[in-house]
Amino acid sequence: MLEKILPNDLFHILESKVNINSINEIRLRADKPIVLSIGGQRIFLGQNGVTGNLNDALKVNKITIEDIIFRASECSIYSVNEQIKRGFIVTKGGIRLGLGGDLIEENNVIKTMTNFSSINIRIPHEIKNCSLPVFNFLLEEGHVYNSLIISPPGAGKTTFLRDFIVQLSDRNFAFNVLVLDERGELDIKKNGCLGNFVDKISFAKKSIGFENGIRALSPNLIVTDEIGKEEDIEAILYAIHCGVNIMASIHCDNIDNLLHKPYFNKLIDEKIFTRFVLLSMRNGPGTIEGVYNENFSRLRN
Amino acid sequence: MKILLLILLACIAILIGYIFSKKYKTRSNFFLSLVMLCQKFDVEINFSRERLKNMFDSLEEKHKRNLYGIDKNFLSYLDKETSLDKESLFKNINFLKNDEKDVIFMFFKSLGRSDVDSQSKEIKNYQTRFESFSSTANNDNKKYGALSIKLGIIAGLFLIVLFI
Repeated sequence: MLEKILPNDLFHILESKVNINSINEIRLRADKPIVLSIGGQRIFLGQNGVTGNLNDALKVNKITIEDIIFRASECSIYSVNEQIKRGFIVTKGGIRLGLGGDLIEENNVIKTMTNFSSINIRIPHEIKNCSLPVFNFLLEEGHVYNSLIISPPGAGKTTFLRDFIVQLSDRNFAFNVLVLDERGELDIKKNGCLGNFVDKISFAKKSIGFENGIRALSPNLIVTDEIGKEEDIEAILYAIHCGVNIMASIHCDNIDNLLHKPYFNKLIDEKIFTRFVLLSMRNGPGTIEGVYNENFSRLRN
Repeated sequence: MKILLLILLACIAILIGYIFSKKYKTRSNFFLSLVMLCQKFDVEINFSRERLKNMFDSLEEKHKRNLYGIDKNFLSYLDKETSLDKESLFKNINFLKNDEKDVIFMFFKSLGRSDVDSQSKEIKNYQTRFESFSSTANNDNKKYGALSIKLGIIAGLFLIVLFI
């Protein structure tokens, strides 16, 4: 998919001079050097591959940035405007382009974004079995614990969730799993890589997705990415009260900070989540720092 | 032998007349299909947010023929096979005037570049201009298209009379 959205010359350099599968992020800023994120390290891209020398770094201009966004939208910006208003575009292969530019507002409603000045291209990776070290901690007879995957941005939350869903299916746990994929990042393959017991609702707000999904698809487990807003918490409580288990992820770098997150008291006080998996980038994205129970006692180092 | 030559000359004269008239017809059909394309795009963008490539693919064969490859040339650009410039967009098209090419080029350049409201407004704006081109081309076709064939026939007959 990258070859469809990047200019031919830039893709050629990435393909021939860099191991493209090792790249986590490509940051493009107007008239600034291209920065690659590889295994948690940030490094410039030069004509001959990665470089630490700023003078050798390749730069992109605004026209190139606009062209990349145009192509990421399958040459139809109007078809992804709802995503652009929220600051990103997700391509068919699950590549997420975070966008920087000018938001156009009219009567307090965001209409679109123009004058694009930067893109953060996040390349999803399927890391097989990455959830296995903690798999058994998250399951009890007949159900999955309500679990929260905690990590800072780019540390592998989505990859973990994706693998966990696949593992459930591979091991024939016949739970009806509803994947609420608000940003289209969880299911990265066209024909669905997530397994045989998985339904998916994409690009819907959590509040709508939870309500519609529970009513229409009767899931045993809902998996969703990046909770944080008050309405997300309400949606989770609604699902719990409907008897549905939840596995979600959240941006946070440690347990202490999680306890101070706004709107989270209710979930913590009521011990809604009974398993917490903390990920970090200490040994590269996806490093499992620990698994905790509802009392925040460590179950696994 | 002489009669055969004269018939051949007359046929050539009529053929030249026909070629001239075809140019007018081609222009008329081209702009008509361009207007249809605008109407289709406007509806589909507003109601189903259909992608550009799919819209071009689902164009009626008749309109694809009338567009004389401009759609394919544009699709080549979307597929990153060519750049978007007048030379590649109007490849094999020689019946358009420069000012018409400018407007059509700007139209294709604007496709897929903005949100629904802006795109719809742009398409409507260009549609109005294409309708004006279409109306002129249609009038020219009626006036000069028929005239070219008639002149071809008259020239053919004149040559026959001249050489008998």
